[in-house]
Amino acid sequence: MNVLLQVLINGILFGSMYGVAAIGLSLIFGTMRIIFLAQGTIMVLFAYLTYFLFTLAGVDPYLSILIGIPIAFGCGLGVFYVLFKEAAALEDKNVSLLLAVGLMYMVDNLMLNIWGATPRYAATSYSSFTLRIGEINISFQRLMALVIALAAASIVYWFLKNTRLGTAVRAASEDMVSTTLLGISSNWVMAIAFGLGLALAGTAGVVMASVYSFDPNYGFPFALKALVALTLGGIGNVWGALAAGVLLGVVENLATYYIGAGWADAISYAAFILVLIFLPYGLFGRRGVVKKV
Amino acid sequence: MSKTGVEAGRWAKLRPTNMISAAVAFVVLVVAFTLPFFVDVDKSYLGYFIFITCIYLTVAQGWNLVAGYTGQISLGQNAFFGLGAYTMAELWLHGIGLWFFFDVTLMIAAGIAPAILAIIVGIPLLSRLKGDYFSFGTLGLGMIIKVLFVKGGTVTGGANGVYLDSTRFTSMHVYYWCALFLAVFATFLVYALTRSRIGLALKAIREDDISAASHGINVLKYKVFAFAVAAFLAGVAGSIFGYYQFHITPDSVFSMNWLFYPILVVVLGGTGTVIGPIIGAFIVSGLFAYGDIYFGGYHPVVSGMLIILVMRFMPDGIMGIVSKTSGRLLGRAKHAVPSGM
Repeated sequence: MNVLLQVLINGILFGSMYGVAAIGLSLIFGTMRIIFLAQGTIMVLFAYLTYFLFTLAGVDPYLSILIGIPIAFGCGLGVFYVLFKEAAALEDKNVSLLLAVGLMYMVDNLMLNIWGATPRYAATSYSSFTLRIGEINISFQRLMALVIALAAASIVYWFLKNTRLGTAVRAASEDMVSTTLLGISSNWVMAIAFGLGLALAGTAGVVMASVYSFDPNYGFPFALKALVALTLGGIGNVWGALAAGVLLGVVENLATYYIGAGWADAISYAAFILVLIFLPYGLFGRRGVVKKV
Repeated sequence: MSKTGVEAGRWAKLRPTNMISAAVAFVVLVVAFTLPFFVDVDKSYLGYFIFITCIYLTVAQGWNLVAGYTGQISLGQNAFFGLGAYTMAELWLHGIGLWFFFDVTLMIAAGIAPAILAIIVGIPLLSRLKGDYFSFGTLGLGMIIKVLFVKGGTVTGGANGVYLDSTRFTSMHVYYWCALFLAVFATFLVYALTRSRIGLALKAIREDDISAASHGINVLKYKVFAFAVAAFLAGVAGSIFGYYQFHITPDSVFSMNWLFYPILVVVLGGTGTVIGPIIGAFIVSGLFAYGDIYFGGYHPVVSGMLIILVMRFMPDGIMGIVSKTSGRLLGRAKHAVPSGM
């Protein structure tokens, strides 16, 4: 019983990172209908950044969040204006998909060549702190990861609900054309969404650096899982994406523990397709695309 | 370009409307068919180059049909490719088939199996999911199939894959001609389909499927048809690749590369054109060959960068640019994306 609880909790803690990345994907996909497959790669990139800041400059990973997020946000704005601006306006979504893929290949392989494939891990002095509740061990770091994920989700939610810019982003997700008709610059809104999306990826990356070991090959599979979480949670639903990420983490962990690592992946993807077919609005979401042809 | 009256026969529809495209096709065919007489295909790298180009082209034309002409962006082509390779291997290993090596019936079977899967999976997927959600679904499908094969144990050989008798390898010539015929077949198939009533229906679906449905087109049937043809082509290409590799592993045949490179081929050449993928295939193949030699481990970086540059500056693909410039040169009004050949 305790083992089960332990597995559950670990799943929740790991899943929160899927959730954070998924929220980012949701923002990007919601406004621009771009499947930003490079999300995982960006996360790994910022994990490396955190790792090097820690090992070379002694900057504590949690402090790195304060550095990393603005950088990630700026990168997001830059990437959008340089690369995705024209592509987002095209009807042919292959172009933006391939742009994301090209970016992913480029950054993944740059990291692979420059930093090698050895797994890295920012081991701080408090890395092995564990809290004990009853018979269950909860790693302090992983708990912090969950806390940070919740904080990030709250900030994004507050932004979307309570600020003018956030409302503009939400409006753009629902109907870009009408939003433009109301005088809101679509490019600026999309850039903000992109920046936020990358900032969230950066957050997940910073957190991952000190909690789990990582290497450049993590990027794409992680992006896929984040995509699964996005679909489960429903596009445009911040808490839904987070919850779905957590759920995915739990399912994966349970499956890995009881069945085996490879099957865990298959189960995740199978659940993905089933949800797509039978629950197109996601598990909690509001909108989806289902029309009887 | 009036086709009324004089040559209104059944084959008249296949006459190319775009002379540039016809010229390109002709040149490519001539070069490809005469090359083995000038160059020793076995020893020269050109033989392998054309071989792999033809494989990319076959998969690409299939994807072009389902995504370029019908508008259903499938991200699961690698699943069909790998399935074709494994089907061929399993049939060979179990002694089914006529000759065991380069058996045409095996190759056709290797194409039919993925096509059947496409129909089985396509019906629920295509009837319920539209646009991006369909793409997600196919992506998930590809992932699941790969995992199934990795976990297949003794049936599929697991992660180590299936080994075929490599002493059967006689010469590159067989591969060259086979791949070439396959690529020509694929291109011609897609060309003929797009010029037929089926093609008309597919294009109508791409533009606006609700409108197409209201005009009496059975949208689901045509979507599944295009999806199945794409799967068939990918499967046969996979089987030929399997014949070449002799060692079929999940990583080699289900790799995402078999998904993204054919897409790149089509988009680079020009989505929704028939000649576009041909040009695209040569360029993409050339890029990788060049990159491998000159950039070593960094060559995916260069490839990635090139993908980005092309998508950023030439999203209509090469045929898009050709079309625009030829339109301006010849003073005719042309669409940015050619709707014909």
